[in-house]
Amino acid sequence: MKFFLLIVKNVARNPLRSVLTALGSIVLVFVVTVVWSVLSFLNTVTTEKKENLKAIVTDRWVIPSRLPSDYERPLSEGASNPERRGDVKPLDYMTWQFYVGSLDPKKLARENFVIAVAMDASKVTTMMEGLDSLTGEQEEEAERLVAAMKQNRQGLVVGKNVLRNMNKRVGERVKVSGIGNFKELDFEFVILGVIPEPRYDNINVMNREFLDETLDAYPRTHNGRKHLMADRRLNLVWLKLADTAAFTQVAKQIDSAPQLRTPTVKCETAASSFGAFMEAFRDLIWGMRWLLAPGCLISLSLVMANAISINVRERRLELAVLKVLGYRPWQLLVLVLGESLLLGAGAGLFSGGLTYAVVNWVLGGIPLLGFFGICLVPADALWWGAAVGAATSLAGSLLPAWSARSVKVADVFAKVA
Amino acid sequence: MVVWSLLGVGALLVFALLVIAKVPLAYNLRNLTVRWRTTVLTALAFTLLTALLVVMLAFVNGMKRLTTGSGQPGNVLVLAEGATDETFSNLNIADLAEIEVQPDVVHAKDGRPMASRETYMVVNQPVPADAPLGRPKRRFLQLRGVEDPLLTGEVHNLRLLPGGTWFSPSGARLDPEAGGRTASAHPMIEVVLGEGIARELGRDRSPERLASARNPQRLDVGDVFVLGEDPQSMEADGGGSPRARKWIVVGIMDSAGSTFDSELWAKQSLVAPIFGKDTFTSLVVRTRDDQAARTFKDFLNNAGQEAEAGKEPGKPAGGGLKRTTVNALVEKDYYEGMTEMTEVFLVAIIIVTVFISIGGIFGVMNTMFAAISQRIKDIGVLRLLGYSRRQILVSFLLESLVIALVGGLLGCLLGTVANGWTATCVVTGHAGGGKLVVLKLVVDGPILAVGVLLSLGLGLFGGLLPALSAMRLKPLKALR
Repeated sequence: MKFFLLIVKNVARNPLRSVLTALGSIVLVFVVTVVWSVLSFLNTVTTEKKENLKAIVTDRWVIPSRLPSDYERPLSEGASNPERRGDVKPLDYMTWQFYVGSLDPKKLARENFVIAVAMDASKVTTMMEGLDSLTGEQEEEAERLVAAMKQNRQGLVVGKNVLRNMNKRVGERVKVSGIGNFKELDFEFVILGVIPEPRYDNINVMNREFLDETLDAYPRTHNGRKHLMADRRLNLVWLKLADTAAFTQVAKQIDSAPQLRTPTVKCETAASSFGAFMEAFRDLIWGMRWLLAPGCLISLSLVMANAISINVRERRLELAVLKVLGYRPWQLLVLVLGESLLLGAGAGLFSGGLTYAVVNWVLGGIPLLGFFGICLVPADALWWGAAVGAATSLAGSLLPAWSARSVKVADVFAKVA
Repeated sequence: MVVWSLLGVGALLVFALLVIAKVPLAYNLRNLTVRWRTTVLTALAFTLLTALLVVMLAFVNGMKRLTTGSGQPGNVLVLAEGATDETFSNLNIADLAEIEVQPDVVHAKDGRPMASRETYMVVNQPVPADAPLGRPKRRFLQLRGVEDPLLTGEVHNLRLLPGGTWFSPSGARLDPEAGGRTASAHPMIEVVLGEGIARELGRDRSPERLASARNPQRLDVGDVFVLGEDPQSMEADGGGSPRARKWIVVGIMDSAGSTFDSELWAKQSLVAPIFGKDTFTSLVVRTRDDQAARTFKDFLNNAGQEAEAGKEPGKPAGGGLKRTTVNALVEKDYYEGMTEMTEVFLVAIIIVTVFISIGGIFGVMNTMFAAISQRIKDIGVLRLLGYSRRQILVSFLLESLVIALVGGLLGCLLGTVANGWTATCVVTGHAGGGKLVVLKLVVDGPILAVGVLLSLGLGLFGGLLPALSAMRLKPLKALR
């Protein structure tokens, strides 16, 4: 205990140096924690689950996937054959049909775009990742939105960012004109509410009946001509499966189903699908993982090494006196390491907590690309911060501590004399 | 230009400080060498931070060069009305025919209009099972179906690397490995690859295949890969799984520095049906020059609006347009507009740089405060020798700047290693859409200047407070 108090006193003895070292650590640990949070998030979404997993069925070859609507029935049953033993059915399923429109068809700018997923409202809270595991008020809000969508086929549940970009309020009506492949599919929506899950901040959910009815009615006003999207209106089908064995079996069933051949489809886990999307950013992720984060860590170690080595050089006389007083060399080594660890781990812990609070509570998360929405700093950041601070300070203080251990009493006193 | 100016101002400032202040420079430099461990550790921190910045900026620079390097002056890209990207465009064939014969479209040597009809598709390619470890399971490829590759190459100003040819008029050839009826029933598709994607696909080869490869760096003429399937093969082969399509490389495009570097080009009439795309997505026409391209773009867009309003569209020099429903863009603007991702990365880099710089400043401050506390007596002596407070300030500031400069220069040197590295990424536009690209990191003069400037900035801000504290020391008190 006395030894620990000595360490604390030593750290507090030169407040300016300790504060500067700690501040340097706090800032660099902040960067590392943010980078690791993003990498950890990407790792989580691309890691295969063993149980209660989701699979995505899409066109085998073409992006964006467009499947005929009659694929829904066989896919909803996992292309299982009741007469074939061992066939497995999914626990649940949902279909996604995309719709892209613009608030101003004359001005094709991102701020005017409205991207909606047309789906069965009842699946919103049972199948959509994140929305199927809400609790408390958020769950109640999600259930309220689903009920409202069922009552109002023109209902649109919007992402938080979309509502802000549209400059509209809940309850207002909004006219959207289809663009690109959705040209001539124009809708008037009623905004029912905001999706209570940050990952869907940039998209909206509409009733699929609304889209289907409009597509079916299209020939009546266009000389019997079908809309471009009419025959292949289904973009992807999500399946909920009990475990990996069920997934493997269902994927096999779908792969060999004769009714799913034009076009052929692929069934993959959601994690695998996200992984393929992230492949385009492979080198960027590599850079974050192996250049940016280590670069910050090494810089932090250097800052620590510098501070501690200066500290040891200044205290050679004091260390020599301690030796004379009976301190063993290993005790001096531990003393210097302890001071560095206390400073590094303390600053790291503080930085981890600060990162967690600032990013999650003040900034509302780290915005990510595409459908990932935002990424929150995990609670693990607290121990990451402490561990990073401790590890870098340890790495930086090993040599100075060794030099403290090796202080030669005679040499030091000879110089003083 | 701004960066160079700032660097020039910085250099002038340092020079002026040296000349005007008449500081004890030799004393400072000797101190740096005497306390070499501290100097080296601090300079190393500068080196790392500068190198990181240089590499990050080189990535963004590569993206910027890629988008600005794509697109030819005078080219107009025609998409379907309402489409902002080739992926979601479906052109009306009648529109194409009308646009191609407009008098603003220049003609090739053989008299044909310089107009390229193209079908752009993003397709999914499972990576071969025998690919080396660490390769992805599948990837997205950008396939461009074109009718006449020679003309399309001319419109996009793209040439082939020596040894290659454009694909034949049929766009396919017999597979020598398949015999009899199979050979003619399932020919190989001839494909021309961008150099970047050829390199990427080349990495999928197993060590055995690589050992006998014509070109170990990338796929080359004569190499074969698999993509897509032939649905008809199920009936032809009596059921079972569809037969995989073989593609044979007939040419590699000299396309470095453009988005075409990441594309595969093949016969449109062959590949579009395979991937279920039965329309053209884009038409690229060549006009006389950039000004003509802008005029023609406006004409096409206005024609659509006037047709919508029930008016007869205006006539450009010598020709008319009955009706079009297209979204025409100057090709260079289309590619240069793909800056959204570049801007996102730039903002992220600025944020990261600000944070690591703040960390670095604290580190430098620590070092300089320590240096000063060790040399309090020296400062007292210098003051007694007649050096003014201002000279002491400049002296310690210069010490910090010298460490920063050395560290910064070393960091730039280290960062230069990244020049030419390739990386996969996505470039997107503000109006949606985007392209998967293989880009080259580019370290150039302005980036190195930014690196040195950052380092000097860290040195300046990190050294200022300690130098001020040194300046304020009273000579007699310092000597006690």
